[in-house]
Amino acid sequence: MTDKDVIVAEGVVKTYDDSGVPVHAVRGIDYTLSKGEFTAIIGPSGSGKTTFLNVLAGLDTPTEGKVWLSGKLISDMSGRELSDFRRDHIGFIFQAYNLFPVLTVEENVEYVMLLQGVPPEERHERVLSILEKVGIAEYAGRLPMQLSGGQQQRVAVARAMVSRPSLVIADEPTANLDSKTSGALLDMMRQLNEDTGMTFLFSTHDEIVMRRARKIVIIRDGKIDGKASSEEIQ
Amino acid sequence: MLLKLAWRNVFRQKRRTILTLLTMTGGFFLSSLSIGWMDGSYSSIIMFFTNNRTGQIQVHHEGYLEDPSIYSTVNDYQAVGAFLDSIPGVRSWAPRTYSGALLAVRPRGAGSGNVFSNSAAASVIGIDPVMEEAATDFSDRIVIGEMLSASAADSSYSATGQIILGKELSIILEASVGDSLVMLSQAADGSSADRMYVIRGIVSTGNTDIDRNTCYITLSDAQILFALEGKVHEIAVMTHSLGTVDRLTGEISTALSEKDLETDSWKTFAKEFYNGMKADEASLKVTIFVIVLVAAMGVLNTILMMVLERRREFGVMKALGTRPGFIIRMIVLEANIMGIISVIAGGILSTAGLLLLSSHGLVMDPPLSYGGTVFREMIASITPECYWIPAICVIITATTVSFLPALKAAHTKAAKTLRTV
Repeated sequence: MTDKDVIVAEGVVKTYDDSGVPVHAVRGIDYTLSKGEFTAIIGPSGSGKTTFLNVLAGLDTPTEGKVWLSGKLISDMSGRELSDFRRDHIGFIFQAYNLFPVLTVEENVEYVMLLQGVPPEERHERVLSILEKVGIAEYAGRLPMQLSGGQQQRVAVARAMVSRPSLVIADEPTANLDSKTSGALLDMMRQLNEDTGMTFLFSTHDEIVMRRARKIVIIRDGKIDGKASSEEIQ
Repeated sequence: MLLKLAWRNVFRQKRRTILTLLTMTGGFFLSSLSIGWMDGSYSSIIMFFTNNRTGQIQVHHEGYLEDPSIYSTVNDYQAVGAFLDSIPGVRSWAPRTYSGALLAVRPRGAGSGNVFSNSAAASVIGIDPVMEEAATDFSDRIVIGEMLSASAADSSYSATGQIILGKELSIILEASVGDSLVMLSQAADGSSADRMYVIRGIVSTGNTDIDRNTCYITLSDAQILFALEGKVHEIAVMTHSLGTVDRLTGEISTALSEKDLETDSWKTFAKEFYNGMKADEASLKVTIFVIVLVAAMGVLNTILMMVLERRREFGVMKALGTRPGFIIRMIVLEANIMGIISVIAGGILSTAGLLLLSSHGLVMDPPLSYGGTVFREMIASITPECYWIPAICVIITATTVSFLPALKAAHTKAAKTLRTV
């Protein structure tokens, strides 16, 4: 593992027990993601991409294999260590936005920094700054239900990035958006990637995402089936 | 943030929250009213019972309560009385003698001969009219005629004395005010104690058992008749407040124990009455427990629904790095916010209800008989217990029933929840 690597996965296997039947979701993946990448993991439904993403994010523990994130071996961490590690090093963007419905846009974005113990003044400054960047500063006082899907996903992007994590993981971020909104969202995320140098890793089967990704990793039947640049895919 | 989240989560499902709040508020209200009703009723029963006759504290010769005897006397009762007057918290005291006699009535119009008709055995209580008036409600309960005359009691020992009969005793004797009767008994010195009396009044104490077999003469009369000069059998002590009775009993007991006198509170000398009240209290506690249990089921149902509906949200919180303790605190806080709102709402409602019941009372129709004493109206009282006991029950219930669902929510598996929900 080098200083340039954000993620290093070695021989990752993940097997679920589904009512007594073992499900081999990930079947031995070796993978390295470098700093500043804007990479999409693609593959058909049930190929294991979300499970692999969950293992890389420390949301799930691998049945076998090891995962390093920012130089730390996360596959052996306890639940509490993993929780703190995710809080400080990983930003999440979910398919269904998953904003807290009772908190305003500003409070949703502020949430992780609050867990981190960032002082109020700094929190406020960073929230305003990121909301400006994602173009929804004017909606800071609104509740998520008062926003469109695209706007909610922008809030989710802001929430994922505001704590300045080593890695932003996005699971099917455009699955609930129309193509125009998806394109705009991806353009914005790519711009943020260029501006901040933050690393982005997506799972998707949306062509819009694939076209904008700089690298593509193809997963099929729980294994990496190929890697390519966006241009090669197209 | 924790409070903000909890507060807003409580009102996410307004209808359900309002229903839960109503359940909890209802539980508080009913518990509070039950306690206020119990305290008020028992306080009025105790005050009625003790003010009527017994007093809240009694002083006797040692062993008198277990084995009442004409010879077991408080000898220097005036000195004991002076000591009682010096104790703050003692309102008044009344000395009494107790003995037994056979009463026989001379019917009106029977002339001056020794013609007596109905007769009955009775307890004869010697009372000081002035001190009894100051200490108890005795004179207020004379339904026909009037109270024994203090001036007559102080006058020279005349040929005919004055007597008050219990109402039921007067019925048995077929006697009324103005009739004459003869009392036959034996004095403490062994001599015969016989005397003629004119009935001055009929008393209804509210306790028919007592009124059936009791008559009253003046203390000075009783002391001469029963050869008990300067002695009494009982000193009934009235206090300013029921709450001070136990402390004052202890104080008086300590001071008088060297004189072979024993001091008891109403809880001892009216043990059956006290035990009956305690049994009623126990049944009321069961009632309160059932009320709290019903409210608890309502809260548990709400919290379980809340947790089930928000599984995905807890998964997201966990994914973002929220520690389980934060989620547990948030859910317990949500339950407690509902608890606090219920306590405030319940407190306001209870105060209104208790004020109504304490000012107007509830007329008992038919009257309630308790320990032989008849009560026609019961009132509630407003005490701190009316508030803090239901409040603690509500808060403990909210905390307890929310803890397990909170624990379940805190251990939500982020990956599984986000995948399956």
